[in-house]
Amino acid sequence: MIPQYKALLAFLIITAAATATFLWVTRNTANKERLNPEAVSKLRSRFAITCALLLIAALALTLPHLPYPRGSEIPDKVVFVAAKQFAFGLSEAPIASDAQWEAASQGPAVRIPANRLVEFRVTSLDVNHGFGVYSPGGTLLAQTQAMPGYVNRLRLRLQNPGRYPVLCLELCGMEHHSMRGIFEVFATGKE
Amino acid sequence: MTFPRIAACLAAGAAALWGQSPAGSLNQPPNEDLYLYHSVPDILVRPAGKPAMPLSELWRERPLLITMVFTRCAGVCYPFLRSLRTATESAGKPPSGYGILVLSFDSRDTASDMKAAAAGIGARADEGWIFATAAEESVRRLAEATGFWFRWDGERRQFDHPAVLLAVKHGRLVRLFTGGRIPAESLGAILRDLAGGFVPSYPLADKTSFRCFQYNAATGSYSLDWGAVLLVLPGAAAFLAALLTFRPWRRKCARAPFQAA
Amino acid sequence: MSSPTSASSAATPRLRRNTMLWALLAMALFLVSTLLGLFLRLFQGNSFPAVEPVWFYSALTLHALIMVGAWFLGSMAGVHYLLSRYVRPSSAISELAMGGSVVGVVLISISTLLGKFGVGWYFLFPLPLYPNGAWSPWATIVFFAGLAILAVFWLAWVLDLLRAIARRYSLSMALGWHILRGAKEPEVPPLVLITTVSLVVVTAALVAAALVLALFVLHGSGRANVDALLMKNLTFLFGHIIVNITLYLGVAILYELLPAFAGRPWKTSWLVAFAWNAVLLLVLFAYLHHLYMDFAQPRWVQVVGQTASYFLSLPAAAVSVFGSLALIYRSGFRWTMASRLLVCGVLGWVIGGIAAVVDATVAVNSVFHNTLWVPAHFHTYYLMGVVLMVLAFFDHLSRELTGSDTDVPAAGWILSLLLLGGYGFLAMFYYGGATSVPRRFATYPEETLQGVIQARVAAAFVVLLLAALVIYLSRMAARCLRAFALCRNAS
Repeated sequence: MIPQYKALLAFLIITAAATATFLWVTRNTANKERLNPEAVSKLRSRFAITCALLLIAALALTLPHLPYPRGSEIPDKVVFVAAKQFAFGLSEAPIASDAQWEAASQGPAVRIPANRLVEFRVTSLDVNHGFGVYSPGGTLLAQTQAMPGYVNRLRLRLQNPGRYPVLCLELCGMEHHSMRGIFEVFATGKE
Repeated sequence: MTFPRIAACLAAGAAALWGQSPAGSLNQPPNEDLYLYHSVPDILVRPAGKPAMPLSELWRERPLLITMVFTRCAGVCYPFLRSLRTATESAGKPPSGYGILVLSFDSRDTASDMKAAAAGIGARADEGWIFATAAEESVRRLAEATGFWFRWDGERRQFDHPAVLLAVKHGRLVRLFTGGRIPAESLGAILRDLAGGFVPSYPLADKTSFRCFQYNAATGSYSLDWGAVLLVLPGAAAFLAALLTFRPWRRKCARAPFQAA
Repeated sequence: MSSPTSASSAATPRLRRNTMLWALLAMALFLVSTLLGLFLRLFQGNSFPAVEPVWFYSALTLHALIMVGAWFLGSMAGVHYLLSRYVRPSSAISELAMGGSVVGVVLISISTLLGKFGVGWYFLFPLPLYPNGAWSPWATIVFFAGLAILAVFWLAWVLDLLRAIARRYSLSMALGWHILRGAKEPEVPPLVLITTVSLVVVTAALVAAALVLALFVLHGSGRANVDALLMKNLTFLFGHIIVNITLYLGVAILYELLPAFAGRPWKTSWLVAFAWNAVLLLVLFAYLHHLYMDFAQPRWVQVVGQTASYFLSLPAAAVSVFGSLALIYRSGFRWTMASRLLVCGVLGWVIGGIAAVVDATVAVNSVFHNTLWVPAHFHTYYLMGVVLMVLAFFDHLSRELTGSDTDVPAAGWILSLLLLGGYGFLAMFYYGGATSVPRRFATYPEETLQGVIQARVAAAFVVLLLAALVIYLSRMAARCLRAFALCRNAS
């Protein structure tokens, strides 16, 4: 299951539980009764502690999966990405001039071997952009911001061959929705 | 900011951070970006006073730094080697996890020339320094794979060449440093990369004001910069405003009791 | 049993009149902004192929700013009114804030609608300086002028409410520190505690906004090359807090209103005091979850962001939501339109909060950041949360001031239609987020064409929502106008 669906499922389960609790309470509001404050307070403490423990557990489960790798592995390839209103230039060589950015954004797609660790070095030549890598089927796989003045390093290992679109995930002007880039993952034959 | 200015910043930034200039003309030092993570050819080298061995033997156990020199050099070779020697002193001596190969690209250099060069800069084999020669064809292969070049200048009777330091791990080029001398911080950053340290982002060196953080590549740590002070300012101003409004130093009985209108 | 607002004998006719005006203003802005929202979803559903996308982005900018502004002001007005039970805030400052807000909204409307200034509510640096032919420099200047006016007048109102509280309470009392030390007296109403916390934090947000504007000027005039990362931090410090605190002001209203419907008191207990003091600290760091995909932030900052965002939900869930449910459980709860809206508002807050915690997880944010999941969660706790809470207050007050005690006919149906339209519209956002549809796209590329269908379905639900709102708000507006006239005659 893709991570998006896992997150959606977790959200739906917790939401269903919360909504059920609300419905149950709102259906039990009619008969006026004096509640024992101590019992309420005890229940509230238990509820608070349970919530805190769940949050700590969720932190412990998710924090090891930060998308910023420690990086003991050496990537097999580096791809330079320069974002500019309104296209991504992807190239195997650094992009340091207007002409290079144009050539990179209009030229043939960069080719990346499947199952190999690739490092994208992402920056912007004007405003903030979002470097969002989509699968050929249209699922968002990973992203990093393209921020002027910084080079962000996103490392990915893509298994399936195909043409991977890159969409801009930060509002960058009137043609934001049509800003894109592309790279191609090819089978290496060894795997 | 115009595009050319940004592009210049980009290029200069990459140069400043990675310690080299981008390749432009034939006489430029190699551009690290073009050779990153490429495989280094496993050539045969002859360490002075030892039998020949493939490079892979040297990088199998630990990462390897490679620099290419010629012993009759009247230019950059010896100052560069001496700066490397000094940088290793402060960054940790070679046996602590890496070796340094000083390889001659001059076919006239002999084992004794290399030994003399080692003695000249005070580099010792037990500290991980290896001074070696190799066949001309092997040197060419290594040079081509890493962007290094050398040309004979008949007039000066010297080789024209850049000074480079290749950082190799498991046979792959992890960093490529160029420059007349290598500062200890640059070597520190290279060694951190070789040890597997990874920083997910690096700033481009330009005249940016109020950065939030400064990244130290040699130690891999961040320190707060003036921008971080600006970030704290709103919170501080809010608490100051609260203090000035409530004036807790005043006696509480001075407060007006509330009366409904 | 006391009416939630009847203890407001302290409220002067001027305050009542002002509050009714604020209610009318907030509702009018709300309707306009909802219409803009409908336009946005229709645009994404390819209903306007002949209209240039630049209109989408300027409408998007206006929609968000009006919506946030309307309900920040609406909740401030509610809190201002209810605070008058305990302290005396200045009506003049509130009127000044209203004038400033109207001018600010007009300027922002001119900038976006006439100037096509379409950079999103967050005007992320340095986009306003890179129009690329879409807008003229004057639009940027008018926009920033509008924002500056809003910041100044809102800050004045915020500081005046703090001043009013400070006249009666010391800072440690207002923050309930004596209760934390174990004392029972003097009593501090939760409204005062939550409002104090919120106002202090809002001050920080408005100072951050002022800093952003100042740095923009510094950069735009060529005097400095400002760091984009700093600007983004400051922008979200301001933006996140304003939205977050609007919600908390709504909760402050909830703490004050709900007890009257339940017939039980809701006092500042040790846990309540502790929870809101924790909020005071945590809320300043929660904004960091907007910058998870900025790899330039050090790893420890991202960990602080996730931890703060997670634990910010604890005071809310464990104290306020539990407290609300415990308050109404077997209380002989009086169900009116207002009290229903309040309870529905709490549920919307909870659901939006759950979605927010999911998205505040760095590992999840990697595939949710700037997809439709983000508007999904904040529309939930905004539209189905704080908006309902503040509407509940306006509903109740307007009823009280006009003496119309009974609910309008078919109130239950109207509420059902409102919830159906609202949650149906939200469901499409959640589904869009889970299917990788990006947010803030005028039209969708071929990879995410599912977004087009989702937008059309969402637009249909918005029509239902709008129908419910028009029926409900028009009656309420008539009541507010009546109340306004009565108050004017009384004064």
